[in-house]
Amino acid sequence: MNYVGITNSTPVKRYLLLVFSVFWAAGACMANIDDALTFALEAADPYVKEGFTVREDYWGGDLPVKSTKAVVHQLFKGNEYWFWMGTDQKTAKISVHIYDSEGRLAEVETWQKAHMAAARIVPKKTGSYYLIVEVEKSPQERTYWSLAYGFR
Amino acid sequence: MRKLVPITLALLGASALAETPPATIDVSKLPAQARMIDEVVVPVPSEIFGVLDKMGKPRWEEVLRSGKMSMKPMGGAEQTALILGTVIAEGFIAVEAESAEEVKRIGRGVLALSEAIGVKKAVQRRSQSIVEAADAKDWNRVRRELDGAMVDVRDAMTELRSEELSQLVSLGGWLRGTEALTEVVGKSYSKDAAELLHQPVLLKFFDRRISAMAAKRQTSLVQKVKQGLSDIRPLMGHADGDEISEKTVREIGALAGELIKAIGAKGE
Repeated sequence: MNYVGITNSTPVKRYLLLVFSVFWAAGACMANIDDALTFALEAADPYVKEGFTVREDYWGGDLPVKSTKAVVHQLFKGNEYWFWMGTDQKTAKISVHIYDSEGRLAEVETWQKAHMAAARIVPKKTGSYYLIVEVEKSPQERTYWSLAYGFR
Repeated sequence: MRKLVPITLALLGASALAETPPATIDVSKLPAQARMIDEVVVPVPSEIFGVLDKMGKPRWEEVLRSGKMSMKPMGGAEQTALILGTVIAEGFIAVEAESAEEVKRIGRGVLALSEAIGVKKAVQRRSQSIVEAADAKDWNRVRRELDGAMVDVRDAMTELRSEELSQLVSLGGWLRGTEALTEVVGKSYSKDAAELLHQPVLLKFFDRRISAMAAKRQTSLVQKVKQGLSDIRPLMGHADGDEISEKTVREIGALAGELIKAIGAKGE
């Protein structure tokens, strides 16, 4: 892209370039989250064969290294859940953990692989649970992630 | 639960979750780096109905109302969005009842309602898939397509800058799902089944979203629904594990039923 053109452009051209840049950045961001989702769904694939229904809805965003995000989610006693996290960064290390409403670690199983991490829970109560996602290591300043879930 | 809001995670420091996660976290303090994500994924009705199926054999055909419910656009876009949500939820009930004809009728209803709020194109493929899967009696696929229809409607509405309407679709679906749940639980009460009604996250989420809606979306029907949610909220139990009595299940069902009736009524 020729940035010199920006300084010589008219206000209309500058506006159009700005709009284009914003849409390009937004598009690139969505593409990265979509890539992250692809890995989350790849992680889910073996569990679909075990009878898990994967939701079409998901969470996503980007995170700096060593920082966390919390997602509050409704879970139902009587179901079993897997949460699958994906990232587009192969060398990144990500994690997802599940806590109950009292802040107690509630997952029964977790794993981490390249591009992916997952946690399983069999809720003891129906109610609110906290999903904590983290980028533990990454070569990028900010790392895109996506979180999907399934139940049976 | 109230002390948990705003939800905080004090012990999630820089390395707290590395390798071995802490056994407990303090959910009453929030460092900036562990901020909450505001988006809540609303459970699909089948996520709850599946638990009831494990507990016994509910007579879903007795819960099915699609023959009586309105599947036509009515009132403004807000009312049509709420109706669309109730119709999609009805689809999940029809799947539980394994009624191919009702599922197909609902698939067509979803299409008509989507057209009225400008998102027909987005759900056309889903609607067709719902009908095909119902013909094949592939119930798991119907469930997936109904879930996908919700997401497609939301994405299309986001493109049209109508996120508020998509929230009303979710809300309509949640209300009909809740009404159906109370009906099944009420017919064969058990503490475990009633506990499925304890959904504080969702009530708070819907309340927040309605409160944040633009004035033009705050129709009398939307206000009525908001009031209904406030009435339902204390009945659903304060803490996880709180017992919800048979009487309370009936009360929740009556409130949800009144709202469903209002959503489907002309002149709202």
